[in-house]
Amino acid sequence: MSTRRTHVRLLMAIAGAALVLAAPAIADEPLVYATIQPAQITLGESARFTITNLGDGTAPITMPVVSGLQFEIVGRTRQIEIINGTTLPSSSIVVRVTPQMAGIFTIPGVTPKSQPVVLQVNSLPGSAGAPRPSGPRAPNPPPILAGGSIPKGVHLTDDGSAYVRLSVPKREVYVGESVPIDIEIGMRSGFVSSLNGLPKLTGDNFTLGSLAHQPERSERMIEGQSFVLLTWRSVLSVVKPGTFPLAAEVPLTVKIRTRPRRESALDDQFGDPFWQNFFGASVPKDINVESPPQEVKVLELPAEGRPADFHGAVGIFAIESDISPVKAEVGDPLTLRMRVVGSGNFDRVDSSMLDHVEQWKTYPPKSTFNSNDPLGHKGEKVFEQPVIASKPGVQTLPALSFSYFDPNTKRYETAHSPPLSVTISPSLADSTQMAPALAASAASGPVDKLAEGLKADHAASQTGMSSLIPPYLQPRFLVLPSLLALAFAGGWVGARRRKIPAERFAARNRIAQRATKRALAQMESAARSGNPAQFFNSARAALQQSFAARWQLAPDEVTTAEVQARLSDDDDIQQVFALADESKYSGRDLESTDFARWMHAVRQRLIVEQAQ
Amino acid sequence: MKNCARWAALALSLALMGSPMHADPVQVEPAQVGYSAAGLYNLANAYARQGKPGMAVLNYERASLLSPNDPDIDANVSYVRASSHVPAPPRSTFDRVVRIASPFALSWIGVIGLVSVGVSALAAQLSSRHRWMRRLGMLFGIAMISLTVANCIALWPILHEGVVISAATPVRVSPVPMGDSLFVLNEADTVKITAEHEGFWLVQTRAGRTGWVSHSNVAPVVPRK
Repeated sequence: MSTRRTHVRLLMAIAGAALVLAAPAIADEPLVYATIQPAQITLGESARFTITNLGDGTAPITMPVVSGLQFEIVGRTRQIEIINGTTLPSSSIVVRVTPQMAGIFTIPGVTPKSQPVVLQVNSLPGSAGAPRPSGPRAPNPPPILAGGSIPKGVHLTDDGSAYVRLSVPKREVYVGESVPIDIEIGMRSGFVSSLNGLPKLTGDNFTLGSLAHQPERSERMIEGQSFVLLTWRSVLSVVKPGTFPLAAEVPLTVKIRTRPRRESALDDQFGDPFWQNFFGASVPKDINVESPPQEVKVLELPAEGRPADFHGAVGIFAIESDISPVKAEVGDPLTLRMRVVGSGNFDRVDSSMLDHVEQWKTYPPKSTFNSNDPLGHKGEKVFEQPVIASKPGVQTLPALSFSYFDPNTKRYETAHSPPLSVTISPSLADSTQMAPALAASAASGPVDKLAEGLKADHAASQTGMSSLIPPYLQPRFLVLPSLLALAFAGGWVGARRRKIPAERFAARNRIAQRATKRALAQMESAARSGNPAQFFNSARAALQQSFAARWQLAPDEVTTAEVQARLSDDDDIQQVFALADESKYSGRDLESTDFARWMHAVRQRLIVEQAQ
Repeated sequence: MKNCARWAALALSLALMGSPMHADPVQVEPAQVGYSAAGLYNLANAYARQGKPGMAVLNYERASLLSPNDPDIDANVSYVRASSHVPAPPRSTFDRVVRIASPFALSWIGVIGLVSVGVSALAAQLSSRHRWMRRLGMLFGIAMISLTVANCIALWPILHEGVVISAATPVRVSPVPMGDSLFVLNEADTVKITAEHEGFWLVQTRAGRTGWVSHSNVAPVVPRK
């Protein structure tokens, strides 16, 4: 407290020194200047704005007007000052500045030549339990309002500095119903330094709506004392039935006096707590102010007569519907709207709108809420459902309905909207069937500039295809090449099967011929070298290959006995086989002429075999 | 029965167009109800004259399927695309070569090639004479079948393409009308259709961006039933 007083004295000394320096100029013309103390305050506090007029002239002084600041003249003084031997008359106007919101405010000069001043207003602390500077415990001051009548529902605190009043329009509410309420906080001017939080309901049976918006501010005289009133409007709702006490409370910081009233000369002089506050005669104290409790009966919604589409809406509602556009093509999305207007718990207003409508495709709706009041209690909820028609023609959408509980009539109600008609035309995408009509209409209609560079139309052909899919991808057409491929494959396999034995026979002949050739070459070699055993063996081998091919036997199976049995008329060949056996086992030598004769006989026989 | 259905559809179309006085009896021939290159070309021209480049490009593309080497179709589709500031899809030399004839003709050419290959293979089993003729027939058949297969390969992407027929078509993140829009397609743009779900196509642009568009905004080049 003494620190503040020291600061004030220092400021006054500085102002005096400035006046001494400025005295010659002041003597010529009146000087008007303004100061504000303190330059930084918290919302709920006031500052002193002093307008000083030095000199004997009368400069025009205009009271400043600043949005968000309230100016109230609390006193005027007139005195004579002597500066450097010069006598200066001066007058002051003391104005109380009360901010209505936080921020930095520039108060313009009170005359065209005077300088503006700046006032910084800090917002209230965020929570009710925020630490606040508290002074030493002081004895409770005597009540400001002793006795006398007070307005209904107002219950002042012990020191008469504040009150909270909760206004509930009804004592019986239904579960889920939204009830608008008013919470009024009365703060005696100058005695409440700050509001430390938003009001809240006591207990956990009730749910309070949002209090984020600014409260309404007003002033009221109660028993001759000025009170600043802050009123919040909100809604409360209850989630369970029963009878519950209802009250509201708010945390405040009030200023209490630290010395008796008679010791304060300023109090005696002005009788205003502003001066008491300014000269440090009070200390702040955090208190919780609560409204008188009142009983509220919460009723359960009746089970009887509850509609199937009831989703918990309690209030008074009406619906209307429309669809846009009213003309569309098949496949175009249309928007079906249902507006639920009225008052009540819009958070429980819900509807699935249309579901499974023949010749229509429906989607889940979306909803938006447009409130007509800050509480969200009155307004309209708009449901928008996309729907798509699947067939052309004039289509009718069935009526929409919405069920709610009316707390006034205490029964369930169902609101209906009329059916809606829409004209649906065929889709442009399937335009083939429309060709003649379109061509005709285009011929008579306006021509777009796009048509200027087009090549001319073609002569219409008289044949058309049923599909644009290439035939080679159409199953109906693919039957033909498939059958052809199968037929060719079958024929090829059949022919191949028939050809295999002949090919085998030919192959065997080719193998036999090659073996015979090799044997003949060996015979000639044996003849040249005079080797009878090799000669007759080779001759027999050549004949075995040849006979085996014709007789369908393996070459080893062509034995001497087989030859004697099959070629009984050919003595030479029988003898070749016999000599081959003999030369192999006896080692008999043959004359060179014999080689030539046998060679000739074998060749002749092979030629005969090949011819057969 | 089929003709009755076509007549009914035609009558409904005429009624909905609101211009029955323009219905020329000569034009309303049942044969014209089907697809023909000239009919689709004229239809595309009509849409172009009405200032509907999306529908015009769609029908030019369809006409091009039936008559791939028609210079008028190529000229008009290029002109409409250029007028709508839509780039034309690139066409390779392979495309031009294998689309030497219509798919209808190439289907029969493929069948002829198959017959040629089959006869040559069968003749080789039945006789060993005329070997060079058999080989020539086999080569001819294989060439014809290859041409048909190549045409199928070249047409396959086009058969799965669609044309944007509405201006500023939103491409959505999911196949529902209220789905968030990813980007916007221009009318007459050509996109690749990769899937379908409950009235929506999953499309892919030439830049590779994908998303869902409504059936009413994109029409496939080859109508799907």
